[in-house]
Amino acid sequence: MSDPNTTDFWELTNDPLDVGVIARRVVPPSCGATVTLDGYVRQFTGGRETLYLEYEAYDAMAVKEMGKLVGTARGRFEIANIGIVHRLGRLEIGETSVVIAVAAPHRRAAFEACEWLIMELKRTVPIFKKEVYADGEQWVEGDGRQ
Amino acid sequence: MTGDKKGQIRTTVLFFGYTSDLAGCRSFELGLPEGSDATFALSAIERRIPKLAGLKLLFSVNREYAKGAEVIKDGDELAVFTAVSGG
Repeated sequence: MSDPNTTDFWELTNDPLDVGVIARRVVPPSCGATVTLDGYVRQFTGGRETLYLEYEAYDAMAVKEMGKLVGTARGRFEIANIGIVHRLGRLEIGETSVVIAVAAPHRRAAFEACEWLIMELKRTVPIFKKEVYADGEQWVEGDGRQ
Repeated sequence: MTGDKKGQIRTTVLFFGYTSDLAGCRSFELGLPEGSDATFALSAIERRIPKLAGLKLLFSVNREYAKGAEVIKDGDELAVFTAVSGG
Protein backbone atom coordinates (compact mmCIF):
# COMPACT_ATOMS: atom_id res chain seq x y z
CA MET A 1 0.00 0.00 0.00
CA SER A 2 1.08 3.59 -0.43
CA ASP A 3 -0.22 7.09 0.03
CA PRO A 4 -0.59 8.80 -3.38
CA ASN A 5 0.04 12.22 -1.81
CA THR A 6 3.40 11.24 -0.37
CA THR A 7 6.02 8.62 -1.04
CA ASP A 8 4.94 6.70 2.05
CA PHE A 9 4.59 2.94 1.62
CA TRP A 10 3.84 -0.09 3.77
CA GLU A 11 4.16 -3.62 2.48
CA LEU A 12 4.45 -7.30 3.25
CA THR A 13 6.65 -9.51 1.10
CA ASN A 14 8.08 -13.00 0.94
CA ASP A 15 11.21 -11.77 -0.82
CA PRO A 16 14.54 -10.84 0.75
CA LEU A 17 14.72 -7.18 1.86
CA ASP A 18 17.37 -4.77 0.60
CA VAL A 19 17.72 -2.16 3.32
CA GLY A 20 19.54 0.36 1.17
CA VAL A 21 16.98 0.26 -1.61
CA ILE A 22 14.09 0.65 0.82
CA ALA A 23 15.78 3.56 2.59
CA ARG A 24 16.39 5.37 -0.71
CA ARG A 25 12.71 5.16 -1.64
CA VAL A 26 11.71 7.57 1.15
CA VAL A 27 14.16 10.36 0.39
CA PRO A 28 12.74 13.66 -0.93
CA PRO A 29 14.87 16.72 -1.78
CA SER A 30 13.75 18.63 1.32
CA CYS A 31 15.27 16.13 3.70
CA GLY A 32 18.60 16.00 5.44
CA ALA A 33 18.44 12.63 7.14
CA THR A 34 16.95 9.19 6.84
CA VAL A 35 16.90 6.92 9.89
CA THR A 36 16.58 3.27 8.95
CA LEU A 37 15.87 0.34 11.23
CA ASP A 38 17.15 -2.98 9.94
CA GLY A 39 15.59 -5.70 12.07
CA TYR A 40 17.11 -9.11 11.45
CA VAL A 41 17.07 -12.64 12.75
CA ARG A 42 18.98 -13.12 16.00
CA GLN A 43 20.85 -16.36 16.49
CA PHE A 44 20.83 -16.42 20.30
CA THR A 45 17.93 -15.41 22.53
CA GLY A 46 18.73 -15.72 26.21
CA GLY A 47 21.39 -18.33 25.49
CA ARG A 48 19.11 -20.52 23.36
CA GLU A 49 20.11 -20.96 19.75
CA THR A 50 17.60 -20.25 17.01
CA LEU A 51 18.00 -22.17 13.74
CA TYR A 52 15.59 -20.04 11.74
CA LEU A 53 12.35 -18.07 12.03
CA GLU A 54 9.00 -18.32 10.35
CA TYR A 55 6.78 -15.28 10.09
CA GLU A 56 3.15 -15.24 9.10
CA ALA A 57 0.63 -12.42 9.06
CA TYR A 58 -3.04 -11.66 8.95
CA ASP A 59 -2.11 -9.90 5.71
CA ALA A 60 -5.16 -7.70 5.15
CA MET A 61 -5.34 -6.48 8.73
CA ALA A 62 -1.55 -6.11 9.01
CA VAL A 63 -1.41 -3.82 5.99
CA LYS A 64 -4.33 -1.83 7.39
CA GLU A 65 -2.63 -1.45 10.79
CA MET A 66 0.68 -0.48 9.17
CA GLY A 67 -1.14 2.21 7.23
CA LYS A 68 -2.65 3.54 10.45
CA LEU A 69 0.80 3.72 12.05
CA VAL A 70 2.13 5.71 9.12
CA GLY A 71 -0.77 8.15 9.35
CA THR A 72 -0.42 8.56 13.11
CA ALA A 73 3.36 9.01 12.91
CA ARG A 74 2.90 11.79 10.37
CA GLY A 75 0.74 13.66 12.88
CA ARG A 76 3.12 13.16 15.79
CA PHE A 77 6.53 13.83 14.26
CA GLU A 78 8.06 16.43 11.92
CA ILE A 79 8.91 13.94 9.24
CA ALA A 80 8.69 13.82 5.47
CA ASN A 81 8.32 10.20 4.39
CA ILE A 82 7.95 6.77 5.90
CA GLY A 83 8.56 3.33 4.45
CA ILE A 84 7.80 0.06 6.23
CA VAL A 85 8.39 -3.38 4.74
CA HIS A 86 8.02 -6.60 6.69
CA ARG A 87 9.11 -9.93 5.33
CA LEU A 88 7.13 -13.15 5.83
CA GLY A 89 7.94 -16.82 5.46
CA ARG A 90 11.12 -18.60 6.49
CA LEU A 91 14.05 -16.36 7.44
CA GLU A 92 17.56 -17.56 8.13
CA ILE A 93 19.89 -16.17 10.80
CA GLY A 94 20.98 -12.65 9.92
CA GLU A 95 18.33 -12.06 7.27
CA THR A 96 16.35 -8.85 7.49
CA SER A 97 12.79 -9.28 8.76
CA VAL A 98 11.69 -5.66 8.88
CA VAL A 99 12.86 -2.33 7.52
CA ILE A 100 11.49 0.98 8.71
CA ALA A 101 12.91 4.06 6.97
CA VAL A 102 11.96 7.58 7.99
CA ALA A 103 13.17 10.66 6.14
CA ALA A 104 12.99 14.04 7.83
CA PRO A 105 14.39 17.54 7.36
CA HIS A 106 16.25 17.03 10.66
CA ARG A 107 17.48 13.80 12.21
CA ARG A 108 15.97 14.00 15.71
CA ALA A 109 12.39 13.64 14.49
CA ALA A 110 13.44 10.77 12.23
CA PHE A 111 15.02 8.86 15.14
CA GLU A 112 12.00 9.42 17.35
CA ALA A 113 9.52 8.42 14.67
CA CYS A 114 11.48 5.29 13.76
CA GLU A 115 11.59 4.15 17.40
CA TRP A 116 7.89 4.86 17.85
CA LEU A 117 7.00 3.00 14.64
CA ILE A 118 8.85 -0.21 15.57
CA MET A 119 7.41 -0.17 19.10
CA GLU A 120 3.88 0.21 17.76
CA LEU A 121 4.40 -2.32 14.97
CA LYS A 122 5.46 -4.91 17.55
CA ARG A 123 2.39 -4.09 19.63
CA THR A 124 -0.39 -3.76 17.09
CA VAL A 125 0.38 -5.21 13.65
CA PRO A 126 -0.86 -8.82 13.37
CA ILE A 127 2.38 -10.52 12.35
CA PHE A 128 3.44 -13.70 14.13
CA LYS A 129 6.91 -15.15 14.65
CA LYS A 130 7.82 -18.77 15.26
CA GLU A 131 11.30 -19.53 16.54
CA VAL A 132 12.64 -22.90 15.46
CA TYR A 133 15.36 -24.40 17.67
CA ALA A 134 17.42 -27.54 17.35
CA ASP A 135 15.14 -29.22 19.87
CA GLY A 136 11.74 -27.71 19.17
CA GLU A 137 9.83 -24.66 18.10
CA GLN A 138 7.69 -21.97 19.67
CA TRP A 139 5.36 -19.20 18.58
CA VAL A 140 6.65 -16.04 20.23
CA GLU A 141 4.15 -14.05 22.22
CA GLY A 142 4.75 -10.35 21.94
CA ASP A 143 4.43 -7.65 24.56
CA GLY A 144 0.72 -7.33 23.91
CA ARG A 145 -1.69 -4.65 22.95
CA GLN A 146 -3.16 -2.58 25.75
CA MET B 1 -38.64 -17.77 7.91
CA THR B 2 -41.54 -18.44 10.18
CA GLY B 3 -41.48 -19.46 13.77
CA ASP B 4 -37.86 -18.40 14.40
CA LYS B 5 -37.40 -16.62 17.68
CA LYS B 6 -34.19 -15.17 16.40
CA GLY B 7 -32.25 -15.62 13.18
CA GLN B 8 -28.82 -17.15 12.87
CA ILE B 9 -25.91 -15.38 11.24
CA ARG B 10 -22.87 -16.94 9.63
CA THR B 11 -19.35 -15.75 10.27
CA THR B 12 -15.84 -16.85 9.35
CA VAL B 13 -13.27 -17.20 12.13
CA LEU B 14 -9.57 -16.98 11.25
CA PHE B 15 -6.64 -18.21 13.33
CA PHE B 16 -2.98 -17.24 13.11
CA GLY B 17 0.23 -18.48 14.69
CA TYR B 18 -0.29 -20.20 18.03
CA THR B 19 -4.09 -20.08 17.89
CA SER B 20 -3.95 -21.79 14.48
CA ASP B 21 -1.90 -24.61 16.00
CA LEU B 22 -4.35 -24.96 18.90
CA ALA B 23 -7.39 -24.88 16.64
CA GLY B 24 -5.80 -27.35 14.24
CA CYS B 25 -7.02 -25.25 11.31
CA ARG B 26 -6.66 -21.82 9.74
CA SER B 27 -10.36 -20.98 9.79
CA PHE B 28 -13.87 -22.27 10.29
CA GLU B 29 -17.43 -21.14 9.82
CA LEU B 30 -19.29 -20.13 12.96
CA GLY B 31 -23.01 -19.60 13.32
CA LEU B 32 -24.18 -17.14 15.95
CA PRO B 33 -27.54 -15.83 17.09
CA GLU B 34 -28.44 -12.55 15.47
CA GLY B 35 -27.47 -9.64 17.71
CA SER B 36 -24.45 -11.41 19.24
CA ASP B 37 -21.65 -9.10 20.32
CA ALA B 38 -17.90 -9.68 20.07
CA THR B 39 -17.61 -10.90 23.65
CA PHE B 40 -20.28 -13.53 23.02
CA ALA B 41 -18.65 -14.54 19.73
CA LEU B 42 -15.28 -15.03 21.42
CA SER B 43 -16.84 -17.19 24.14
CA ALA B 44 -18.53 -19.28 21.44
CA ILE B 45 -15.14 -19.76 19.76
CA GLU B 46 -13.57 -20.74 23.09
CA ARG B 47 -16.31 -23.32 23.63
CA ARG B 48 -15.51 -24.83 20.25
CA ILE B 49 -11.73 -24.72 20.86
CA PRO B 50 -11.41 -25.23 24.63
CA LYS B 51 -7.60 -24.95 24.45
CA LEU B 52 -8.04 -21.22 23.76
CA ALA B 53 -9.73 -20.61 27.10
CA GLY B 54 -7.46 -18.96 29.64
CA LEU B 55 -5.12 -17.49 27.03
CA LYS B 56 -4.81 -13.75 26.67
CA LEU B 57 -6.37 -13.35 23.24
CA LEU B 58 -6.73 -10.54 20.76
CA PHE B 59 -9.92 -10.51 18.77
CA SER B 60 -10.79 -8.65 15.60
CA VAL B 61 -13.99 -8.05 13.69
CA ASN B 62 -13.63 -7.21 10.01
CA ARG B 63 -9.89 -6.52 10.45
CA GLU B 64 -10.31 -4.07 13.32
CA TYR B 65 -9.46 -4.83 16.95
CA ALA B 66 -12.68 -5.46 18.86
CA LYS B 67 -13.37 -4.17 22.36
CA GLY B 68 -16.29 -6.51 23.05
CA ALA B 69 -19.51 -4.58 22.51
CA GLU B 70 -19.36 -4.64 18.70
CA VAL B 71 -22.46 -6.29 17.24
CA ILE B 72 -21.55 -9.11 14.86
CA LYS B 73 -23.31 -9.15 11.49
CA ASP B 74 -23.91 -11.86 8.93
CA GLY B 75 -20.80 -12.45 6.84
CA ASP B 76 -18.39 -10.82 9.29
CA GLU B 77 -14.75 -11.93 9.36
CA LEU B 78 -13.56 -12.62 12.90
CA ALA B 79 -10.00 -13.47 13.93
CA VAL B 80 -8.41 -14.73 17.14
CA PHE B 81 -4.71 -14.53 17.96
CA THR B 82 -2.29 -14.12 20.84
CA ALA B 83 -0.12 -11.02 21.30
CA VAL B 84 1.48 -10.15 18.00
CA SER B 85 5.23 -10.69 17.54
CA GLY B 86 6.37 -8.98 14.36
CA GLY B 87 9.56 -7.00 14.06
